[in-house]
Amino acid sequence: METQAHDPQVIADPETLNPAKRTLVLSGALPGDDALEPVEVALLALLREEGTEIRGYSMRDVPLAHCQGCFECWTTTPGLCKTDGDAGREIASAMINSDLLVILTPVTFGGYSSEIKKALDRIICLVLPFFRRVDGEVHHSRRYRKYPAFAAVGMLPAPDEEQARIFHALVERNARNLDCRVTAVCLLPAGAPPADVHESLAADLEPVLAHVGGRVA
Amino acid sequence: MSARRAVLLVGSARPPGTGNSEALATYLLARLVEGGMETEAFHVHRCQRPERERALFEAVDGTDLFVLSTPLYVDALPYLVTRCCERMAAHRAAERNESNLQNEHRSRMVALVNCGFPELEHTRVALDICRVFAREASFFWAGGLGLGGGEAIGGKPLEEVGGMARHVRGGLDLAAEALLADRVIPEEAQAELARPMIPSRLYTTLGNWGWLRLARKKGTLRRLWDRPLG
Repeated sequence: METQAHDPQVIADPETLNPAKRTLVLSGALPGDDALEPVEVALLALLREEGTEIRGYSMRDVPLAHCQGCFECWTTTPGLCKTDGDAGREIASAMINSDLLVILTPVTFGGYSSEIKKALDRIICLVLPFFRRVDGEVHHSRRYRKYPAFAAVGMLPAPDEEQARIFHALVERNARNLDCRVTAVCLLPAGAPPADVHESLAADLEPVLAHVGGRVA
Repeated sequence: MSARRAVLLVGSARPPGTGNSEALATYLLARLVEGGMETEAFHVHRCQRPERERALFEAVDGTDLFVLSTPLYVDALPYLVTRCCERMAAHRAAERNESNLQNEHRSRMVALVNCGFPELEHTRVALDICRVFAREASFFWAGGLGLGGGEAIGGKPLEEVGGMARHVRGGLDLAAEALLADRVIPEEAQAELARPMIPSRLYTTLGNWGWLRLARKKGTLRRLWDRPLG
C-alpha cells in the first residue's frame, strides 16, 4: 500500500479528482504475505479511473490497540473511541467521511484477516448504542446521516466454497449493521493472472465503482 | 490413566471475571470437571506476549478438548481472537510437519459465541468461521453454540443469573454431557440456548433505557447522539 499510518496520502492524480467522492481502502495483508499486492495495484488503478480521491492504509503497518469492549465510545466519549494516540480515531473518521470503503483481505477461515479486524473492531463508535429493527432483526441505530458504500475483495489461497459462502454472508451482515446501501464482493484465487484480476474486480465491483464514479445517482 | 484435559480460551478483552464469554465457559467447564476432566483457562488479551502465547499453544496441543468462548465483534470473531487463530493454525501446521501432532491424538474443538443482539442468528457467521478454523488447524469440530442477548448475563456466574438463564444452563449441561461422552454437541443444546432469556422487545427496551441511564450517570446524556467525526 502506498500510504502509512498517520500520514495518509492522497494517491489519485489531482487533475482527475472528484472532490465530492472519497474512497478509503483498508488492506489486510498479513506480515510477510505479498500475495495481495497485484490485486491492490489493479484495485487502485480501477479507482483512479473513477476519479475518486483515495486514502489507503496498509493495516499491518498501522499500530492499533485492540477494542476493549468497554462501550465507552457510546457512553463516556460518545462517537469517539476512548483510546487516543493511535490511528483508531483517524481511520474511523476516514471511514465515515468516505463515499466508499473497500476492504482488501486474504480470506481467513472465511472471514477477514486479523489486520482488517484490528480496524473494524474500533469503528462501533460510528453507530449508536440504541437498537432498531431491520428486516425483523435487531441492529444498532445510525449515528451519522450517511454511511459509505462497501466493497470487500478477498483472496482465497485455494478454491473453497464454504469459505466463499461465509465471506459473502459476513459482508452482507457488515453492510446491514453499518447501513451501507451499496455493496459488492469480489473473491479471487491466489496467483490469478493480472488480466483476470482486473476483469474480476471491474465486473464484481461495478455497483460501487459506478457509485463512487458518479455514474449512478 | 491420566484425566482428560480441556483448555479454555476466553476471547473477551474484558477483565477476567467480568465477561459474559467467561461466565458461559466457566459454567461449561465446571460440568466437565464434575465429569472428571481437568481444565485450564487462558484469556486472549493476556496471550499476546510470546511466552504466554507459547504456553497457550502448548496447552492446546496437549489437550483433548479446546473450548473457545468469545463475544461477537462486528459480526465476526474479535481481532485478538482472529489473530490468535491465525497464529495457532500456523503453529499447528508446523507441528504437523514435524510430526509432533499425531492424527490419533487429534483434539476436539467447540466454540461458544455470544452477542448483545437478542437473536442468535448474528452469531452464525462467527460460528462458521470457528468451524473452518477447526478444520484448518486440524481439530475435530465437536460443535458450536450461539447465544443472543448475552448482555442479560451481566458478566455474572450463570448460577447467579437465576431463572431467566435456566435454559442456557440446560443447554450447556447437554453440551457437557455430550462432550464427556465423546459425542458432538447435540442440536437440542443449541435449541435450549436459542430460547430468549428475555423477550426480544423487552430486551431492546431495557437495553435502550440502560444506555440512557448510564449516560445520565456519566453526565453525557446530551452528547450521546454527537457526531464528532463527520
